[in-house]
Amino acid sequence: MRASSLKYLLTEGFKNVWKNWMMSVASIGVLVLCLLLTGAAALFSMNISNALRSIESQNSITVYLNDDVETGPALEIGEKIKVLDNIAGCKFYSKEEAVEKFKDELGPIFDGIKDNNPFPHAFHVTLADISKYRETVDVIKQIDGIDSVVNRSELFEKLTKFDRLISISGVFIVIVLGLVSLFILSNTIRLTMYSRRFEISIMKSVGATDWFVRLPFIVEGIIIGIISAIISATILKLLYDVLIGYVNRMIPFSHIPFGSVSLPIFFAFIAAGIAFGLIGGLISISKYLKREGGEILGW
Amino acid sequence: MIEFRNVSKVYANGTSALKNINLHIKKGEFVFIVGSSGSGKSTFLKLIMHEELPSRGTIYLDGINISQITKREVPYIRRKMGIVFQDFRLIDKMTVFDNVAFAMRVTGASERDVKKRVPYILNLVDLQNKANRRPAELSGGEQQRVSLARALVNNPSIIIADEPTGNIDPEMSYEIVELLTEINKRGTTVLMVTHEHDLVQRFGKRVIEINCGKIISDSKNPEVRHES
Repeated sequence: MRASSLKYLLTEGFKNVWKNWMMSVASIGVLVLCLLLTGAAALFSMNISNALRSIESQNSITVYLNDDVETGPALEIGEKIKVLDNIAGCKFYSKEEAVEKFKDELGPIFDGIKDNNPFPHAFHVTLADISKYRETVDVIKQIDGIDSVVNRSELFEKLTKFDRLISISGVFIVIVLGLVSLFILSNTIRLTMYSRRFEISIMKSVGATDWFVRLPFIVEGIIIGIISAIISATILKLLYDVLIGYVNRMIPFSHIPFGSVSLPIFFAFIAAGIAFGLIGGLISISKYLKREGGEILGW
Repeated sequence: MIEFRNVSKVYANGTSALKNINLHIKKGEFVFIVGSSGSGKSTFLKLIMHEELPSRGTIYLDGINISQITKREVPYIRRKMGIVFQDFRLIDKMTVFDNVAFAMRVTGASERDVKKRVPYILNLVDLQNKANRRPAELSGGEQQRVSLARALVNNPSIIIADEPTGNIDPEMSYEIVELLTEINKRGTTVLMVTHEHDLVQRFGKRVIEINCGKIISDSKNPEVRHES
């Protein structure tokens, strides 16, 4: 294709977006929503996977003792745990250490509870083989004075289930929104085509190829897709930073920084935007290309 | 140039628009197609322009059976033709220059060729001084000349004019046909549909009359009248 033809087609595509700006804005709005939800679901999933990896790598459980167990008997319980099978390490956390730890992380809210400490003594137990955690936990629970064992594998399972639920519902929502986006986008382009049907009829009568007629409308779709991708990537970054900051204040956890995934997300959004634009353009134009002469003008 | 062999056209609603048409138009001819409304003239043109396909028979254009070409080949066949419409079909928001250039741009011509060719064609139709005007600022006759310039700009081998004088006054009509005659003298085949018998008689060209989907007379082949 000649450079002048390419310039002509691109200019026409931009003009189309501008002329039907209200429909273009509607298309961009729905497409942004669709991309935002997809991006949010992807980031959520990435963070859950990150948390799961972190839990897996810790290979540990926390054993809480009954409230009334004093420090001496607590240390004896620790000795009993250390001699069990599959125990790689057993570290004692006193109730005083627990208060200090929470004070460091959550601030002066814990200042007044030193005299009435609600935390029990606990042990941080590292397992030699995580696959045998259930047997090991059962044996630990039989020791007198033990209140509960916080089993991280249960958390792992819960997080995995939650991740799966979010992924499935996310996919469903994205599919529905994707179809809505395509519908609105193709109608936007169809409106442009309707307003330019006169030119289309002349183009066909002077021997413009179908691709030459089609391209400005596909360019229009792609421009809408790219604008949507840029807007949604920007909004996603802002929302993610705000949300992560908020969640981190409530529950400190190691999150994925947006900067580390921003490029793949941006390019995925651009690719999705282009794909949506392309499909929307192709859907809307095929009907018009089948018509000839006066039919295009509705005569 | 154009040949119809046993061509019939029946539309989906059952209307029989053309019945067993046999016709041969040579390269460089000027032919008037006349007939009343609903006689089949428009269908005749649509078949040549490949806007419709014949229900029966074959149509040849420059030796190519256009009834059997693929959809992809249609634009290239249309580039052999320049079409002039009764209602001019000019784009209001474009200048005269851009209206004419449009036909070149959408067929992939370079901007350099556009800048060279369009002024030449505007000069040919005597509109060189109105290149920057918009269609609404021109008279009916001038608008039809722009339409003719657009039809000519891609150097077609045939001009198809569908009642080009239908929307302009008699004096301007005469000028348009004069212009078509000049173009014809340069070797371009001209096929003009009209119902203005005065105009047809004044120029003394080949006249084909269609009625009820049949050719009822052809001035070049007087025997046609007897056949029908």
